[in-house]
Amino acid sequence: MAGPTILHVDLDAFFAAVEQRDRPELRGRPVIVGGGGPNDRGVVSAASYEARAFGVHSAMPLRTAGALCPRGVFLPVDGAKYQRVSRQVMAILRRFTPRVEPVSIDEAFLDVAGSEALFGDGETIARAIKDAIRSELELTASVGVAGTKLVAKIASDLRKPDGLVVVPLGEEAAFLAPLPMARLWGVGPQTRLALADYEVRTIGDLAALPADVLVRRLGQHGAELAARARGIDPSPVSDGADPKSVSHEHTFTVDTHDPDEIERTLLALAEGVGGRLRASGLRAATISVKVRDEHFETRTRQRTLEEPTDQTETIWRTALELARPEVRGRTIRLLGVGASHFGERQQLGLFETGDERRRRVTEAADEIRRRFGSRAITRARLLGSRVAEPFERDPMTAPDARRVGRVRRDPGADGSA
Amino acid sequence: MKLSVMQENLARGLQVVSRAVSSRSTLPVLANVLLRTEDAGLKLTATNLEIGMTYWVPGRIEADGALTVPARLITDVVNSLAPGERVDLEQDGPASLYLHCGRQKAHLRGIDADEFPVIPSAGERPTTRISQRVLKQALSEVVFAAATDEARPILTGVLTRFEGDRLTLAAADNYRIAVKTIATLAPVEETSLVVPARSYHELERILADTDEPVDLVLAPSKNQILFHLEGVDLVSRLIDGQFPNYQQVLPSSHSTRVVVDREELLKAVRLSALIATTSANVVKLRVDGEAEGVVTIAAAADVGDTEGQVEATIEGEALTVAFNARYLQEALANLDAQQLSLEFTGPLSPGVLKPVGDDGYVHVIMPVRTPS
Repeated sequence: MAGPTILHVDLDAFFAAVEQRDRPELRGRPVIVGGGGPNDRGVVSAASYEARAFGVHSAMPLRTAGALCPRGVFLPVDGAKYQRVSRQVMAILRRFTPRVEPVSIDEAFLDVAGSEALFGDGETIARAIKDAIRSELELTASVGVAGTKLVAKIASDLRKPDGLVVVPLGEEAAFLAPLPMARLWGVGPQTRLALADYEVRTIGDLAALPADVLVRRLGQHGAELAARARGIDPSPVSDGADPKSVSHEHTFTVDTHDPDEIERTLLALAEGVGGRLRASGLRAATISVKVRDEHFETRTRQRTLEEPTDQTETIWRTALELARPEVRGRTIRLLGVGASHFGERQQLGLFETGDERRRRVTEAADEIRRRFGSRAITRARLLGSRVAEPFERDPMTAPDARRVGRVRRDPGADGSA
Repeated sequence: MKLSVMQENLARGLQVVSRAVSSRSTLPVLANVLLRTEDAGLKLTATNLEIGMTYWVPGRIEADGALTVPARLITDVVNSLAPGERVDLEQDGPASLYLHCGRQKAHLRGIDADEFPVIPSAGERPTTRISQRVLKQALSEVVFAAATDEARPILTGVLTRFEGDRLTLAAADNYRIAVKTIATLAPVEETSLVVPARSYHELERILADTDEPVDLVLAPSKNQILFHLEGVDLVSRLIDGQFPNYQQVLPSSHSTRVVVDREELLKAVRLSALIATTSANVVKLRVDGEAEGVVTIAAAADVGDTEGQVEATIEGEALTVAFNARYLQEALANLDAQQLSLEFTGPLSPGVLKPVGDDGYVHVIMPVRTPS
């Protein structure tokens, strides 16, 4: 019988590990990456395992980290460097299968079904990946191998650092049963509250509840949870060849409620999303925003436009309108802008002249960025702002990989059959 | 200030001017209504700086004065009093109003009248006059086509073009355009203004279904237009800029012409819109050959499909055109005609709607390109 083929690869203490690799004097010492030092108002982005021994963890205020670990080495975030290393990691993963789905800068899912004849079964490939990352990049990764993304992710997290956990097919439910319920996706304070009457502590307890109890208490979410507790997760590893959506997110170094900073960040994110749509020759009909506040409460809102767009201004304006009621009176930790429902269906317009000029400006700016780099031209509004370049799902991922020539619409085609 | 008014007159006045109150302004006084004694009556004024409304409540004045109070609050207070009762108003401080009605009384704290923006009223001679009924109907057939999104501010306005004794109103949102020409009661030299659709919306609400005229005062140099009715003034700012040349997008010929009953077609579009709204909101309008004598409206999506037929008189070629269901539905719902003519030249050319027997109105909708 074939073994599990879905891998979740998660680099260990990524930012801190890269710093320790590049500066040997830091090895064996507690390294804390984030903001500008122990007195900075920012939060910890990554902590080495030596620092974690002091109780330091990511998302903790740097000041708290400084108090817990006064001898720690505090380093600023060097985004460009981590981005570069992340690309090297993703390149290693792609040697084993094209079906790689990066989920953040330091983790990715792979589906190696079909690669087994070349490289061996899932476990063998997991070892080969760990070896390659160690020997070529001097970093360690933890890998989970399972039949579903959900179980693979939980498995990779179980024996960190440098772990390898394989969950044989058919043993998913037994593997999950003893683990605390909070390890499952989608279990938060609300779920715990809704299930307070049932003494549910482990995933096994949750799986033992009749599915209809969960549905009654939690609705559609309950049905999904019942499936997840049994290790069932139908989502496939998406290699992005047929992208369903494009999105960019930004986590503030210091949580903010400054409307100007929020507007500017949305503009930077809209520019990123618009640029990727244009580079791929796609237009999106649905624009969404994601707002996470200081209490990690996340809200998303979306709107479908009259006609699909790839224009930064339209994406930004829509994102602003969607975000406004969600950011009012709250301190924001993370913002995201997404675009989905790609299509070419087009409502023909009466007066296209204004849009046509704007489109030409956008095309010229895109061309300048393509030739001279992403910082060669920017919006006046974004000059001097400290919005980091948004996280890109690495350049090999479509839609960017399928950069097609911009499809120029023949202006004469409109209105005359 | 000290005066007495009838509850229902005050309530009616507050209801009218409240439409101009700014609900979210950084200027607190704009959430208030200005009360001022004038011409032996009580003048109520509210503005959101785009539109200003003034209403005269008849009353018995004992002492003059002025102040502003929160519009929402005074409206709710007055509405809670009994109709037919006399309401006594007295200013008992620079910005404090004492309100007394039978055995009910209230003190409302407001803001000094000096802080309220100056709203012009119709002191000047009217530029022209128009039958209220005619203008009201024209607005209802045109204003809905204006853009609601601010991407192109000029399209959130309605082109208002005076030429001799004709007034042409045109509104467009890039996908459709509505144009109506009506008669004015006095000639005006050639003038083009762009009035915010929101202002016309409010004007439409206060116009009555009567042949009594409404006075218009054009003040393009002051960036204003003013409408005066018995007891009510509405002043609106204008939108700066050039309205797109709509005449060049109005088709001058057609290859297919269909005459249908408006209500029947609207029913068919409403049915298909139920399905269309679940996906791209596209409905297809199919005109069969002259012999068939039917127009078919159809929609298809994942959840199902619909088809509705309407009897029609057809001249010209058979064809199918796709439209956004909303544009078609709004045009059919807002037109005031029993019979409509629909004119087409092809699946990617604009569709034209005209009421049969009314040369003064034309509505154009751009089609949707669909995969063939």
